Amino acid sequence: MSTPAGSTPPPTPPVRLHVADVVVARIAAAAARAVPGVAALRPDLGQALLGLAGSLLGEQGGPLSAAGAAATVDGDVARISLTLVTTLGHNCRDLAAAVQRAVGAQIRTETGLGAVVTVTVADVALSPG
Amino acid sequence: MEIEERIEPLACGRDAAEVWDAAVAGRLDEHARSCPHCGAAAADALRLDGVVHRLADERPVPPASVLDRVMNAVADTVIAELRPQDLLVLDSPAGPARLSRAAAARVIRHVVDGMDGMRARSCRIEQDPDTGERTTAQVAITVTARFGVDLASVTARVRQMVLAAGEQALGVPVSRVDITVVDLWEGP
Repeated sequence: MSTPAGSTPPPTPPVRLHVADVVVARIAAAAARAVPGVAALRPDLGQALLGLAGSLLGEQGGPLSAAGAAATVDGDVARISLTLVTTLGHNCRDLAAAVQRAVGAQIRTETGLGAVVTVTVADVALSPG
Repeated sequence: MEIEERIEPLACGRDAAEVWDAAVAGRLDEHARSCPHCGAAAADALRLDGVVHRLADERPVPPASVLDRVMNAVADTVIAELRPQDLLVLDSPAGPARLSRAAAARVIRHVVDGMDGMRARSCRIEQDPDTGERTTAQVAITVTARFGVDLASVTARVRQMVLAAGEQALGVPVSRVDITVVDLWEGP
């Protein structure tokens, strides 16, 4: 089919990308775990039990873990809440700020969403390991 | 710390904060090098400096198995479901940040425990809810001391250790420290 001469080409159909909450949570969790001084993310009870079930069933190569992270996408802003265990020797305030920056940047890069990141340091590991 | 009032000196009359800074900078004077009170304060300073900067370079060793990790996570979660009143506010420029009050107390006890001639017993941290630009915390700690340790210096040393640990290890500025020596023990 050829376009009749003189008519404009059809406009590109609008595409809207929606990113699910859990996707944001998984990206945030991965970004937070990569920050030096973060010993672990602490899952809530539900996540811990799911993880336990998964490991008992020998689940391998499952979805990227979102344990310790929760997110809701609200318009073009993602509200993320992370629960961390840090290692003694890393200043908790500075580490929290570093995690907030790293996660915010990663979310912006991968989803285009703005991010409000709330960090809770639940525990400080006194000795590594 | 801008809120600092005039505080009790070490038993030799020196200010623990000044000895502390000199020790970290490696410029202790003649008196401080030979005085046992200054020596103890200097040892505290170097020890905290070691904890704060050495451990930061170590990578955590992964736990034995995923199952262990999950079991621990379950146990932790069940024991410590965090409520707002269990949290201290961290003054992060990048968004809302909080720190478990129990974890902060554990860190303070840990560093005081490492001081020569001293054991921490209980530690309580309070923070005034949102008082404006900089939220400060008040620490109440009980310690036991080795018999023979100069108790006049204990106050100055513990105070300095708590202020420094609050700032360096936690990022929580401490505006007041209450120290109670509750017992003495004999031994090395």
